[in-house]
Amino acid sequence: MATKTKDRAETSAAPAKAVNGTAPLPEAKLKQIYSTMLKCRTMEEKIRILFKQGRFSGNYYAAVGQEATEVGCAIDLRPSDTIAPSHRDFIANLIKGTPLNLMISQIYARKTSPDQGRSSPAHCGYAPLNIITPASTIAAQLNIGTGVALAYKMQKKDDIVMAFSGEGSTSLGFWHEAVNFAGVHNLPIVYVIQNNLWAESVSVKLQTKVEDLSIKAQGYGIPGITVDGNDAVAVYRVASEAIHRARTGGGPTLIECKTYRWYGHSEIDPAKYRDPAEVEYWKSKDPIPFMENYLAKYKLWSDDFKAQILESFQKELDAAIEFAEKAPYAEPEEALDHVYSFSIRDRELNRKTWTPTVLQK
Amino acid sequence: MPLITYIDAINTALNEEMKRDEKVFIIGEDVGVMGGAFKATKGLIEEFGPDRVIDSPLAEGVIVSSSIGAAMAGMRPVPEIQFVDFVTPAMDAITQQAAKLRYRSAGTQTCPITLRICYGGGVAGGLYHSQTNTTWFAHEPGLRVIAPSTPYDAKGMLKAAIRDDNPVIYFEHKKLYRSIKEEVPSEDYTVSLDKAVVRREGSDMTAVSYGYTMQLMLQAADKMKSEHGINVECIDLRTLNPIDHDTILNSVAKTNRVVLVQEDHRTLGISSEISAVIAEQAFECLDAPILRVTAPDIPAIPFAPTLEKFYMPTVEKIQAAMERCAQY
Repeated sequence: MATKTKDRAETSAAPAKAVNGTAPLPEAKLKQIYSTMLKCRTMEEKIRILFKQGRFSGNYYAAVGQEATEVGCAIDLRPSDTIAPSHRDFIANLIKGTPLNLMISQIYARKTSPDQGRSSPAHCGYAPLNIITPASTIAAQLNIGTGVALAYKMQKKDDIVMAFSGEGSTSLGFWHEAVNFAGVHNLPIVYVIQNNLWAESVSVKLQTKVEDLSIKAQGYGIPGITVDGNDAVAVYRVASEAIHRARTGGGPTLIECKTYRWYGHSEIDPAKYRDPAEVEYWKSKDPIPFMENYLAKYKLWSDDFKAQILESFQKELDAAIEFAEKAPYAEPEEALDHVYSFSIRDRELNRKTWTPTVLQK
Repeated sequence: MPLITYIDAINTALNEEMKRDEKVFIIGEDVGVMGGAFKATKGLIEEFGPDRVIDSPLAEGVIVSSSIGAAMAGMRPVPEIQFVDFVTPAMDAITQQAAKLRYRSAGTQTCPITLRICYGGGVAGGLYHSQTNTTWFAHEPGLRVIAPSTPYDAKGMLKAAIRDDNPVIYFEHKKLYRSIKEEVPSEDYTVSLDKAVVRREGSDMTAVSYGYTMQLMLQAADKMKSEHGINVECIDLRTLNPIDHDTILNSVAKTNRVVLVQEDHRTLGISSEISAVIAEQAFECLDAPILRVTAPDIPAIPFAPTLEKFYMPTVEKIQAAMERCAQY
């Protein structure tokens, strides 16, 4: 059941030898994890600039600082696996492979976005890759994802669901109903709590009395583990085990990744409720340089390697921004579409007037 | 054709749909080994097994949200809420997820669930086993909300709902379960989810209701004919969202008088909406004020028999309104 936090030394000391009985990670996988984290960071920092420049309206919920968690968990998911994202999981799309043009169209609320401009900018889903389109109500996708896992089990598929939530969501009754249900039915789902210590302005200390949120797994009879969420390799190892368990009929796992949200809840939140020393401490634990040092130790990283990734991704990103900025908004009446499987346009737009039958004759 | 009750009609529809489509499954409290609090799912776990008739944990939220997710992944769930009084923990799932998933994904992600909800008073159920609350759901674009009033419709509309690609809230009044019988075809049929139906033709007045009170309305209309010679046209709404305006407006154009009947309390009920539609689109057709027969605006149905009777629409209350309407 729930185990104690694994520290970095324990989980990712060296890729050359097995850790906790697991095989060392292949070089290509390590590089893929790193390059994906770097792309996520680059994209989100760019989106933040675009917002501050007023190039898109609404808001954005950056996961900057949490990339190791998201990438380490989701990098190995298949297209047919489902991701149930929270509001801070825009980067899940990048990891799973949603086309960048569509993602940036989402930021700009254009017709070309997966939801054709309906949701707010960070709420990006993508049906072809089974990413549930987010609602803002907390733990909503986690609950729906639990149902997707029920269907996978009924359909005897070996697909799984990965459901992301923040530590704040664990205070909701809904969250517990879902995890309990998954335990009862041994569903193929991995619950990932990204504990970034703050739910908007509320400290985790005001959400729960427990130190490690993974202990909540005990209440539902499923395995729970807490991991250093800024150590991508450690996260990857823990997630791989949980994914394997889910895929092979072993049921759900609850993973808590301890990490940190560098910026405010959203781009309009200066996050003055946090101690600057706390922010600095966590920035010193930036998962990206950590991964660089790790790779460099095994001669898998160089400035050139990083520059190449950035150069090619910057081009893709710039092209996607140009695509989105040139893309049209939906026509006003399209607000009436996709309410039901049938159109309501006629009903809404053409209201007839009735006259008494006796006068019609 | 066999003569069957409303609850038999539901049970038969579920059985037939589960045989027809292996994607159909049932989930809810006590729906399995007990066969449902009212026995609507009786015998189904024996026939289809516990993987397709799931006795859920006592948690309405996950009954509905797990159904939404399973529907998204290709299943056809038929979750049950035992009493509408207990639906509130599932309201996020119903209103924020089921009603909005298609919309927020621009039609790329959908959840064809049929949520059966038992509702209604007049059974000495007290505050928390008698509520109606149909209006909560009819107010949500994205949900189809239906309330069949006869065994024939109960079966045909349930089958249509399960096959429909939209989330459907299926309201079944507990007082209808065993109070009426009707000849219902054994063969497969469905009933439209889009159309109200004229149950009784008439030229002097239009009356509109749904569910249990539709049956009371018919009785009141019969008395209007036998006692006063007044022909009341009775419309069974059947679908509470989206409402079939045309059937109502065509009738009002003919009769020029309207009485609306609902068991839900008065303010912002289904009758309020129908009144507004008539006022907007058929103002010239009216010879008398629109009258409503509803429950009073109190929080729920009180238990004591005197209090419950005061709450419920009755044949007498409906007839009194029809008389007032005719006399105007």
